[in-house]
Amino acid sequence: MSDRTLSATAGIVALAGIVVAAYLTWVHYDEGALVCVAGGGCETVQQSSYAEIAGLPVALLGLVSYTIVLGLIVWDTPYARLGAAALAFVGLAFSVYLLVLQLVVIDAVCVWCLANDVLIAPALAVLTALRLRT
Amino acid sequence: MAGPKARRTDRPSRTAVALAFGIAIAAAVALVAVAVLSRNDSSSSPPTANPVVDLAGIPQAGRVLGSPAAKLTLIEYADPQCPACRLYSEEFFPTLVREYVRPGRVRTEFRGFPFLGDDSVKAYRFLLAAAEQDRLWNLAEALYRNQGAENSGWVTDDLIRGLAAEIPGLDVDKLFTDAERADIRQQAESAGAAASAAGIGGTPSFLIVVGNEQPYAVQFGSVDQMRAALDDALSG
Repeated sequence: MSDRTLSATAGIVALAGIVVAAYLTWVHYDEGALVCVAGGGCETVQQSSYAEIAGLPVALLGLVSYTIVLGLIVWDTPYARLGAAALAFVGLAFSVYLLVLQLVVIDAVCVWCLANDVLIAPALAVLTALRLRT
Repeated sequence: MAGPKARRTDRPSRTAVALAFGIAIAAAVALVAVAVLSRNDSSSSPPTANPVVDLAGIPQAGRVLGSPAAKLTLIEYADPQCPACRLYSEEFFPTLVREYVRPGRVRTEFRGFPFLGDDSVKAYRFLLAAAEQDRLWNLAEALYRNQGAENSGWVTDDLIRGLAAEIPGLDVDKLFTDAERADIRQQAESAGAAASAAGIGGTPSFLIVVGNEQPYAVQFGSVDQMRAALDDALSG
């Protein structure tokens, strides 16, 4: 994969992270959207005591982080690449923690959270790390 | 974007990379630590056995709470395990009872949509059994206040027995006998399919019925929004 393709793919993945985190942030604040639907689980996860860190919604932290990573990808200096990879690594580590919470502690899986934890965060961590080698 | 040549000469040193990822690991550990330490664990608060909403003196007939002469019927499709249903019960149900049901303006009908799992179906069986004694709404309100984690097995016989014992006029032994009846089991297990067939996709879902007019759907967003929807229907 060329450097250009790698950067573009990382940018698209970060953008997907922004979209998912923005949706989950909106769900967190909008009570009107809190409807339990078949195959959902976002309501349980979003209303659990794990949905906030020191009063801040986890989804909002994700939104800010993905936005910073996307900014660093676009900036594209060597140290911006390093910053993006490091931040994506933090995101991956925290996503693993959130995934364990959903599966083991809360016992409810949020489809959108799962998309982030299993697909977006790992993909972004790998892609940003690969960009360090090019 | 910077060119490959420029990147090679400006590439961060191994020390910088190690430092960045060291900081990243420390940040991840700190984030998880803050998340664990700052967690607001509401489940540690003691369960509320007594229903908080006073339903005494309000007519109940099966799954319906309120006067048969009320102009408006608010139909609620709910799952006792659904956190959004609990939110509705805690935030709007007291207002509904105080401002609309007790004065005889509105009656409300509970229709189960127990789709989240086994705890949902079990809870709904007991709600239907409580309906046999016209106490469904008392038990529903008490269950929401003691709602546990989804499909964790929180709907225990002990929990129901404890809650039911606090409800005036509810025969607890009969409740348990009725909850095992074949017709109630069948009704609870087929409720999900019935709700789906009626076009209900989630819970809580509401239908407003005024007199003989066609029902129409409303969604719970806030106390003020729900109050406005009822006022609008009543003034029509």
